[in-house]
Amino acid sequence: MDFFKDIGVLVTNEKYMGMLFEGLGTTLLISVFAALLGLLIGTLVAIVGIAQDSPIMKLPKLICKIYVTIIRGTPMALQLFIMAYTIFAIRGFPKEITAIIAFGINSGAYVSENIRAGILSVDIGQTEAGRALGLNGRTTLIKIVIPQAIKNVIPAIGNELIALIKETSIVSMIGMYDLTQAAKIIGAGNNMASYVVPMTVAACFYLAIVYLLTFVIKIIERRLRASDKR
Amino acid sequence: MISVKNIIKTFEDGVTVLKGVDCHIEKGEVVAIIGPSGSGKSTLLRCMNLLSVPTFGEVWLKDKLLNPVDPYLHTEVIEASNTYKKLVAGGMDGADAIVKIKKEDLLNEKFSAAEGKEYKAILKKLYKDNHIDINVARQKMGMVFQHFNLFNNLTVLDNLTLAPVELKLKSKEEAEKNAMALLKRIGLEDKANVYPSTLSGGQKQRIAIVRALAMDPDVMLFDEPTSALDPEMVGEVLDLMKQLAAEGMTMVIVTHEMGFAREVADKIVFIDEGIIKEQGTPDEIFNHPKDPRLQDFLSKVL
Repeated sequence: MDFFKDIGVLVTNEKYMGMLFEGLGTTLLISVFAALLGLLIGTLVAIVGIAQDSPIMKLPKLICKIYVTIIRGTPMALQLFIMAYTIFAIRGFPKEITAIIAFGINSGAYVSENIRAGILSVDIGQTEAGRALGLNGRTTLIKIVIPQAIKNVIPAIGNELIALIKETSIVSMIGMYDLTQAAKIIGAGNNMASYVVPMTVAACFYLAIVYLLTFVIKIIERRLRASDKR
Repeated sequence: MISVKNIIKTFEDGVTVLKGVDCHIEKGEVVAIIGPSGSGKSTLLRCMNLLSVPTFGEVWLKDKLLNPVDPYLHTEVIEASNTYKKLVAGGMDGADAIVKIKKEDLLNEKFSAAEGKEYKAILKKLYKDNHIDINVARQKMGMVFQHFNLFNNLTVLDNLTLAPVELKLKSKEEAEKNAMALLKRIGLEDKANVYPSTLSGGQKQRIAIVRALAMDPDVMLFDEPTSALDPEMVGEVLDLMKQLAAEGMTMVIVTHEMGFAREVADKIVFIDEGIIKEQGTPDEIFNHPKDPRLQDFLSKVL
C-alpha cells in the first residue's frame, strides 16, 4: 500500500517532522494561552451574570450579555479576521498574540455560560445555609458554592477546551504556521505532492493531544468527587 | 428577642403570602408556628433573618432594626418625612417645619439643623443608630432547614468550624475543640472527618443543629426540621430540640409535629392565609381553640 509507505516516508523524514512539530508548537501555544484567557474572562463574566440586580451592576451585566450574544452568534473565522485585519492590523504586531486574544475572547463567552450554569446548579439551600450563619455573599460563593460548581462544570469546560484546540486550525487563514498549515505545506506539489498523508499524520497529532487532555480531565474529575463517596 | 411588626411579603409573581403579621418572641421562649401548608409560616420564619426580605414592615432583633434596609423606609423616618413634606407643601419654610416636628417630639429631639442636605443626614444617622448589619445579626440567629443544607463540599468538622473561623469569632483550634465537644454531645464524634453524603437524614439534621450552635446563637429558628426525615429518625432530632429548650434556648419552630409543639412550646402561633388567626399557650390553642379555622385545622391533624 502506497499510503502506509508514504506515512513511513513522512515520519522518518527529519525535515517534514520538524515542520509538523513547529506547527504543533504554535497550535499548543495558542491553545494554552487562549484557554487561560478564556477561563479568566469566562469566570468574570459568569460572576457578573449571577450577581444580584442592583443599579451599579446594571451596566456590567448589559455589557456581558452583549458580549456573550455577539461572540456566540458570529463565526469564529470572522472574529479572527476582524482581530487580525482591523483591530490588530499593526505592522509587526505578533500574530500569535492576535490569535490568543481572538480565541480567548471567543472561548470566554462559551466558558462563562458553562460556569454560570454550574453555579446555578448548586442547590440554593447551600447559599442560604451560608448566609444564615452570617457569612457574606462573597465568602459563601468562594467557600461553598464555587467548590461545588467546579465539580459540575469540569466536563463542560473539558468539552470547550477540546473544541478550542481543534478550532485553532483556522489560524492558517490569517497566514499563521500551525499544525494544519504545516501539513498543508508538506502536502504541496514541491514537497510530497499528496495531501492525504500529511493531513492524516496531523490528525493523529490532534487526536493525541485531545486524548491526553481527556485523560487529565478524568483524573481531575475523580479527585473532585472525593466528597461524593458513599 | 425578636419582634416583627406589620410584615407584608409579596413574591415577585404577585402572590401575597403574609398580609400584616405582628409577632413577638421573648428571650427564653419556645414559640411554635403551626398552620396549613401554604399559609406563610415558613416565609414568616425566613423573614425573621431576612432570608426572605419583607416587602413591608419591620424586623427587630433585641433593640436593633434589621429591616427595612433602606433608611427612608423606616416607619419613624417615613412619619417624620411625611409630616415634613406636608408642612412644606402647606407653605411652611423648611427650617420652621423641622422646628415644628422637633417640638412635637416626632424624632425625639434628634433634629438640630434645618438644611435639606443635613435633614437627610440626620435621617440617616437616626437610622444608623437603630440599625444593625444583617450579617452581624445572623451570627446570633441560628437557622435549621428542612433539607439540612449541610455544606456538601466540606467534612462534618469543617461544616461546624467554617463560619466561626471565617468570621474570626474563634481561632481554628478553639473552633475545632468546640465542634468536637458539640459532636460528642450528639454522639457523632466518630463522623467528624466524613462528608455529609455518607450520613443518614437524622444524623445530618442533628449536625445541622450543632452547626448553628457552634456560633453560640441567642435564638434558633427551625424551619420544619423533621419534615424531610424518615419516621424512625424524627425522634432523635426532636429529642435534641427538647434538650435545647430545657436549657433555656430561645426557639422559633415551624412544625407539623403537634405533639411536640404541645409538649415543648411556651406559645403557639396559628397562622392561616398570611394572617395570625390565634396565638396563646398550648392549653389555649389545643384545648380551647376559638378561631373556627384553627378548630377545623386541629380536627384534621390531631
